[in-house]
Amino acid sequence: MDRNAVEIRNLTKKFGDFTAVDNISFNVRKGEIFGFLGANGAGKTTAMRILCGLSLPTAGEGTVAGYDINTQQEKIKRHIGYMSQKFSLYPDLTVRENIRLFGGIYGLRDRQIREKTDALLGMLEMQSEKDRFAGSLPLGWKQKLAFSIAMIHDPEIIFLDEPTGGVDPETRRRFWEMIYDASEKGTTVFVTTHYMDEAEYCDRVSVMVDGRIAALDSPERLKSEYGADNMDEVFRIIVR
Amino acid sequence: MWKYLLEKEFKQFFRDPGLPRMALMFPVLMMLVFPFAVSMEIRNINLAVVDSDRSEESSRLLERCTSSGYFRLVAFCGSPEEAMRLMNENKADAIITIASDFSREIGNGSGFPVGIKVNTVNGTRGSIASQYLQNCIMMYLQDRNSREAGSSVQSAASAPAAQSVSAGPAINVSEKYYFNTHLDYKLFMIPALIVIGITMITAFLPSLNIVSEKETGTIEQINVTPVGKSAFIICKMIPYWAIAFFVLTACLLIAWAVFGYVCRGNVLWLYLYTTLDIIVMAGLGLLISNYSSNAQQAMFVIWFFAVIFMLMSGIFTPIASMPGWAQAITYLNPMRYYADAMRSVFLKGSSPLDIWYDAAGLASIGAAMVCWAIASYRKSS
Repeated sequence: MDRNAVEIRNLTKKFGDFTAVDNISFNVRKGEIFGFLGANGAGKTTAMRILCGLSLPTAGEGTVAGYDINTQQEKIKRHIGYMSQKFSLYPDLTVRENIRLFGGIYGLRDRQIREKTDALLGMLEMQSEKDRFAGSLPLGWKQKLAFSIAMIHDPEIIFLDEPTGGVDPETRRRFWEMIYDASEKGTTVFVTTHYMDEAEYCDRVSVMVDGRIAALDSPERLKSEYGADNMDEVFRIIVR
Repeated sequence: MWKYLLEKEFKQFFRDPGLPRMALMFPVLMMLVFPFAVSMEIRNINLAVVDSDRSEESSRLLERCTSSGYFRLVAFCGSPEEAMRLMNENKADAIITIASDFSREIGNGSGFPVGIKVNTVNGTRGSIASQYLQNCIMMYLQDRNSREAGSSVQSAASAPAAQSVSAGPAINVSEKYYFNTHLDYKLFMIPALIVIGITMITAFLPSLNIVSEKETGTIEQINVTPVGKSAFIICKMIPYWAIAFFVLTACLLIAWAVFGYVCRGNVLWLYLYTTLDIIVMAGLGLLISNYSSNAQQAMFVIWFFAVIFMLMSGIFTPIASMPGWAQAITYLNPMRYYADAMRSVFLKGSSPLDIWYDAAGLASIGAAMVCWAIASYRKSS
């Protein structure tokens, strides 16, 4: 409990006859970057939504930040940040207004929000864009802004659902720098991706196939176990 | 938290390209255009005349008809066939046929050779046209009687002439119209139009708003935060409630300034019933958004409810003349209660003591809707 930010036992989620997540168990250690890999439709997003309290499991149990995923969803929500694969800030609010809204929602005071806003804009180098509508920003900026806002209340765990989908390699590299920064500050990072080069950046990765976890270890160990040069090969071998 | 959510909703509302303008245009349209458009007063009835008598008496009769203001004389026809052709071509709504012996017959009081034909494709329009025409003829007869009486007084009244005056209706029915003394249709429709407007604003706009947040995925970002579902929903509805009261106030002011209509009852009761209706509509709006995953779906459901609400509410057609089973359906329609309440307060000066049943109807439908809506709203699936 002390060492683990997430503990999941025998988690299952069914939609009618379809089993999206099939009896998975895993732990995420505090402070690590945990990669959640899998092809589209392997059940990554479904599992992540359960951890975030957006979805209830059909069976199984677990804790996130020490709170029960079946009964304490609202408490979980205070201690996590979440960034979905779809840009989900308000496009008709400005950058600053979005920061203010989510700061306020997480219970920050006006003064704290102002400080956070300045710090955040400085870090993102977006001071001149602060009054621009979030919807009009380039995709890369949107992603970075969404990430920063998901981190606004210094959550214990941040869940990132395919955060780098559709952005250029340079922006992806910068995005991962932000992830490392967060991780260095002690935030646990839970990230789903289907870019195998990104899997190399993670401390540990799990590979989901058809709702099950087919492999779970550090990238180095997985590579030696499967005799592969990179994660891409590992993934191909597992999925096959 | 509430402060930030409300701030967001109001900002988004005023930034919307259409909504603020709509909120301003709505009362204006509702009060200045719709009362004329939805008027059920039958005017401009196209009248074709077949006058085979062409006498002074027959032209007096026609004069009576055209001066009523309800008829528009479209043609003098030489024959009944010609008039009928006009009716077939939809150029005439009614035909009045005056037989060639009209002035002679009417003189000796033996008969009344005038024929009326009306087009009843639109039954209401037809029957009202026929009634108007009969009234005109009656008035013509009264005129004629008093003229004769007058002349007979001058020429030292003779008994038969005096008798022909009293040969009119023996029973004298005195009519008195209460509440809407001049049977002004606009006055009747104005409270009902407010009802339609408020319902649209408070039920349908917020549900579209919530559904659009579902579509863009922003609602998920909110659902993953500690924001309570009731806080989120209530903050979403508050701007629309504010607009509803703005629209109500604006409509009442326009009705007073333009038409001189003043609410007979306590204006407070209008606001009370509007508040009740708003609660019902909030529940309905939320229900619609709970069960629709995109705006298109929501629009279909809204359209479905909007039509049923309006047609089964007694706003356009009296509920009392619906068949029993249809009347039963109207009891489930919140607009029925709201429209009745608004009309009663506005036109009759009723207070909730008189129309407690409208409040009870709205309150019970509202309670059911809100409970159902809250139960079916999920932050997690």
